[in-house]
Amino acid sequence: MRRCLRSLLCLAVLAGCARAGEQSPDQAMPGDAGGKTVLTFYTALGQAEWKVLREEVIPPFEQAQNCVVRSINVESGEMGRKLHALKQGGAMDVDVIGQDNMALWLLVQQDLMEDLSAYEHTIPPETIDALVNVGRFNGKLYFMPYRPNVEITYYNETYLNKHGLKPPEDWDQLFDTARTLHQREGVGRVAVKADGTAGATVHYFDFVNAAGGDPLTLNDTGCKRAFSFLKELWPYLSPESRRADFNTMNQFLAMESVYLGQNWPFGIEVIVNQGEKKDIKAYHGWRGPVREAHTLGGEVLGIPKGAPHKDLALKFVSHMQSKATQTMLVQRLAWPPMREDAYAEVPAWQKPYFKAVKEALAHAIARPNVPYWEDFDKAINLAAREIFLDRADVTATLDKYAAQLEAAKQRKSAP
Amino acid sequence: MAITAPAPAAGRSWLKRHAFDLALVAPLVLYIVGFTLVPVLTSIGYSFVDPATGAFPSLANYAAMFRQSDFHEALRNTLLITAIGLTLEMGAALILALMLTKEFRGQGVVRSLLLLPMGVPTLVSAVVMSYIFSLSGYANELLFRLGATAPVVWTGGGLTTLLTVVFADMWKVTPMVMLMLLAGLNAIPEEVYEASDLDGATAWQRFTLITLPMLRPAITMALVLRAIDAFRIFDLTLVLGGKTTPVIATYAYYEWSAYNNPYTSGAGATVLLVMILVFVLGYLRIAERGQEDVG
Amino acid sequence: MSATPQAPAGSRAPATRDSDWLATASRILFWPVMVLTLLLVTIPTYILVKVSISRPAELLTQHPTFWIWQPTFKHWEGVLGSPELWAPLWKSLAVATLTTVVAVAIAAPAAYVIARMPKSLRYTTILGLLVTRMFPDVLIALPVAVTFIKMGLLDTVPGLVLAHLIANLPFLAWILVGTFEMIPQALEEAATVDGCSRFEALMRVVFPAALPGIMVGAMFVWLNSWNEFTYAMYLSTATKTLPLQTYFYQAKGSWFDSAAYATVLTIPVVIITFALQRYLVSGSLSGAVKG
Repeated sequence: MRRCLRSLLCLAVLAGCARAGEQSPDQAMPGDAGGKTVLTFYTALGQAEWKVLREEVIPPFEQAQNCVVRSINVESGEMGRKLHALKQGGAMDVDVIGQDNMALWLLVQQDLMEDLSAYEHTIPPETIDALVNVGRFNGKLYFMPYRPNVEITYYNETYLNKHGLKPPEDWDQLFDTARTLHQREGVGRVAVKADGTAGATVHYFDFVNAAGGDPLTLNDTGCKRAFSFLKELWPYLSPESRRADFNTMNQFLAMESVYLGQNWPFGIEVIVNQGEKKDIKAYHGWRGPVREAHTLGGEVLGIPKGAPHKDLALKFVSHMQSKATQTMLVQRLAWPPMREDAYAEVPAWQKPYFKAVKEALAHAIARPNVPYWEDFDKAINLAAREIFLDRADVTATLDKYAAQLEAAKQRKSAP
Repeated sequence: MAITAPAPAAGRSWLKRHAFDLALVAPLVLYIVGFTLVPVLTSIGYSFVDPATGAFPSLANYAAMFRQSDFHEALRNTLLITAIGLTLEMGAALILALMLTKEFRGQGVVRSLLLLPMGVPTLVSAVVMSYIFSLSGYANELLFRLGATAPVVWTGGGLTTLLTVVFADMWKVTPMVMLMLLAGLNAIPEEVYEASDLDGATAWQRFTLITLPMLRPAITMALVLRAIDAFRIFDLTLVLGGKTTPVIATYAYYEWSAYNNPYTSGAGATVLLVMILVFVLGYLRIAERGQEDVG
Repeated sequence: MSATPQAPAGSRAPATRDSDWLATASRILFWPVMVLTLLLVTIPTYILVKVSISRPAELLTQHPTFWIWQPTFKHWEGVLGSPELWAPLWKSLAVATLTTVVAVAIAAPAAYVIARMPKSLRYTTILGLLVTRMFPDVLIALPVAVTFIKMGLLDTVPGLVLAHLIANLPFLAWILVGTFEMIPQALEEAATVDGCSRFEALMRVVFPAALPGIMVGAMFVWLNSWNEFTYAMYLSTATKTLPLQTYFYQAKGSWFDSAAYATVLTIPVVIITFALQRYLVSGSLSGAVKG
C-alpha cells in the first residue's frame, strides 16, 4: 500500500512537472504572451503556407490588436471531432477556424458553429458572390469567405512531348492521351483521384457537371454519361489512381509516376518549387460533352460556439478578408483572392500556374450544401468502386445507390 | 507465500492474508477495467445501435457492412496478410535464429545489424517502404537496371500489394520474432544436442526431433503475439496501400474518420476483435492439446 | 516432450556426412543467406538517410539514384533550424519516459503477484492480459479521447501517458511475469526468515534479481510509446509527438523533410536498441517467451 501511494505521488509530481513544461505553447507562438489576449486559430495548411501566414500575415494583426495569435494545424477531417470534443469537455479554446468548404455541414449539424448572419454586412462588398453562399446553411450564415480554390490540371511536359502529346482539351483527347500513354509505357500515366474519399468525390463532381448532370441525383443522364466514360477510361488510367488524394497526387506527379492529373494549386509550391520539377506545368483542364466544370473548393472562416474571444475573432476574420491580406496571399502563395480588387503581380515563375487557376476558376461550380453529404459521398464512391473495379453495369449500379441515397435523404430531411 | 496456498473458507481472513498481494495488483486491475474494458464495451455498444432509428440492440450496422464489397476485401486482405505474413516471418525468424546460435566471425556485428529494424518505428518503415515500392521507386529502378521494361505496380492493389505490405511488415518485425526464438533456442540444454551427436543424428533429425519440439513454447508465444498484431495491422497498409488495400482496422478507421460513422466503425472493430479472439483461443487450445500429446 | 530426443535413436545409426543434406546446405548457404539478409535489413535504413540528404532531382524522377552523388544538407538545416522539430521531440521524449516509469511502477509489483499465483489462476490471468492486447486501438481510442477531453487531458503529456499505458501495462506485466517466475521463491523466503518484511524482501531481493528483465521490458515500453501513433493522433491537436509530425510532413508531400524527421525519430531508437541488445540476446527475454 505504501509503495502504491508512493508511486502515485511520484506520478502526480511528474505529471505536474510535465504540465508545467507544457505551458510553453505551440511552436508558432512567440516566447511570451505577456498578459496579452491569446487568439487561437485552427486550420490546415501546407508548410510553406504556414510560414507565410505566421511570418507575414498574422504579425500585423497582432500588433494592431495587441494580442497573440496561437495558430495550430488541424486537418479539416479532424476539425469536427476536435471541436466536438472541446465542446463536450466545456473547454472550447478555439476562436477561429479555417475550414475546407467541403467539410462544413458536419460542423453545422453538430451545432458547433456560431451563427454569423448578423455580421454578414462585414463581408467586403468586393467579395465574389458565390463564395458567400458556400457558408450559408438553412438560411443562416455560419462561415465567412476567405479563400476560394479550384483544382488545376498538372502535366509533365517532358513526357507528353516525348510521346508527341498535348494536354487534352476535351474528353476524347483525354481518352486518347490516357490510352496512348498506357500503350507506349505499359502502365497508365493519367490519374484521376479515385481513392474512395472526399477528394475523389470532387473529381466525380467535375465529370458529372461537365456532362451536364447533377451529381447529387447519382443517376441522371449526366451521371450515367460521366461514369460510362470513366468506366471506359479506367483500364488506361494509372494504377495510382486508387491511391490518389490531394497529397499523393503531388507525389505521383513529382516522381513521374503520373504524367497528367488534377490537383489543388498548393501542388505548385510542393512540386515545382520545393521539388524543383520545372517541367511540371499546369493548365485549367478539359471540357466535357456539355461544358467545362471545376468544383469550387476553398476555405472559409468560422467561429465555434463558446469561442472565448468572439469579438477579436471577428476582427481576425476581417483582417484575413482585407485587401492587404488578400493581396499578400496572392503575391506570396498565388492563392486566388476572394475579392475582385485584390490583385497583385505574382513572381514570374508562378505566372503560368496562376493563369491556370484563374481560368479554372472561371468554370467553377459551387457545390450545394446538403445534410445528407456523408451518405452521398459514401454512395458515389462505393458506386465508382463497383463500376471501375468490379466492372459492374453503370445504369444498374447508379440506380441501386440512388435508391439507397434516396432513403438517406428522406431520413435526414425529416425533422 | 503469496496466493500459492489454497484459500481457506473464511473470506475476511483470506482478504487480510492477501492484502499485500491485492494492493500490488490493484492498480493494474483498476487501470485495465477503467481504460480498456469500459471503452471497449462502449465502442461495441455503438456497433449494435441502429443509426437510423437509435434502436438498441440492432444488427443493422452488421447487415449494412456485410453488404459492402470493400468490407469483404478488407476481411480477405486481413486474413491473407496475417496468414502469409506469419508464415514468412516465423520461417525467416527461425532460420536466422538458428544461424545466430552458430559461432562465426563478426557475430556481434551481424547480430546488431539484424536488430536494426527494431530501431525503426513502424511509421518510419512504412514511409521508407513507400519510397522503395512507389511506381518510380527504388525497387522498380533496380528491376529496370536488370532489364525490366515496364514498372511493377507494387501498391496498386491486389496480391502484389498484399505481398508488399507483408514484406514491409516482415522487415520490421522479424528481428523481434527472431529474438524470441533465439531465447527459446538458448534455453535448450546443450547436453541434449551432445547426446544426439553421439547417436550420429543428421542436422534434419536434430532439427525436427529436438529443436522444434523444445522450441514449441517459444513458437507459440511468438506466433500468438505476432498474429494479434498482424490482424490489427493499420499504419503500414494505411501508408502503403491506402484504400487500395483495405484491412479491417483501416476500414473501421475510414468509416469513422471519413464518414463520421462510429456505428459501422464499431462494428468493423468488433468483427476484428472476434477474429482475433477466435484465432488466439483456437490456437492456444490446439497448442495445448499438442503439448499433452507430446508429454 | 523431454523424451523425444532418445526415441528414434536406433533408426539413425547409418547417417554419414554425405547423407546429412541439411548440414551441408546450411554450411554452404550460411554466408549467402546472411549477406542477403543483412542487405535487406540495412538497405531501407540507408535509403531513409539517403532521401534526407538527396537533391530533389535525385529522387523526383522515374530513375532515382542509388548512390549519394551530391549530398545536400539543405533539408536537415531546415528541419534542425525549425522550432517545429524541438517541441514534438521534447513531447515524445517526455511521454515515452514517463510512460516507462509509470508502467514499471504499476506492472512490476502486479507481475510479481501473478507470477506467484497457483498455476491455473496464473494462466487465466495471463490470458486476461493477453486478451486486452487483442483490442484494436481504434476501438478503445474514441471513448478514451472523449473522456480525456472532459478531464482536460487533451494535448497534455500526462494524458498521452495514460493512453500509452493502455497497451503497455498488460504487455509489460505479461513480460515480467515470466521474469519473476524464474526467480526462485526460496530467495525471498530466505529474506523473510532473516527478518525482512515482505515489502522489504520484494525491494531488496526480488526486484534487484529481476532488474535485467525489468530493464528489457522497460525498453520495449519506451520504444512502444516513442513509436505510438494512433492514440497520439486522437489526443493531440496543438502539440504533436514526433511520429505525428513525421506523418504530417509525409502526408503533406514534403518527402525530404519527412525523411529528415523520420531519421530523427529513428536515431534514439537505434541507439537504445543497440545499447541494450546485450540483454536482448543473452536470453533475458526468454521470460517473455516462457508462457
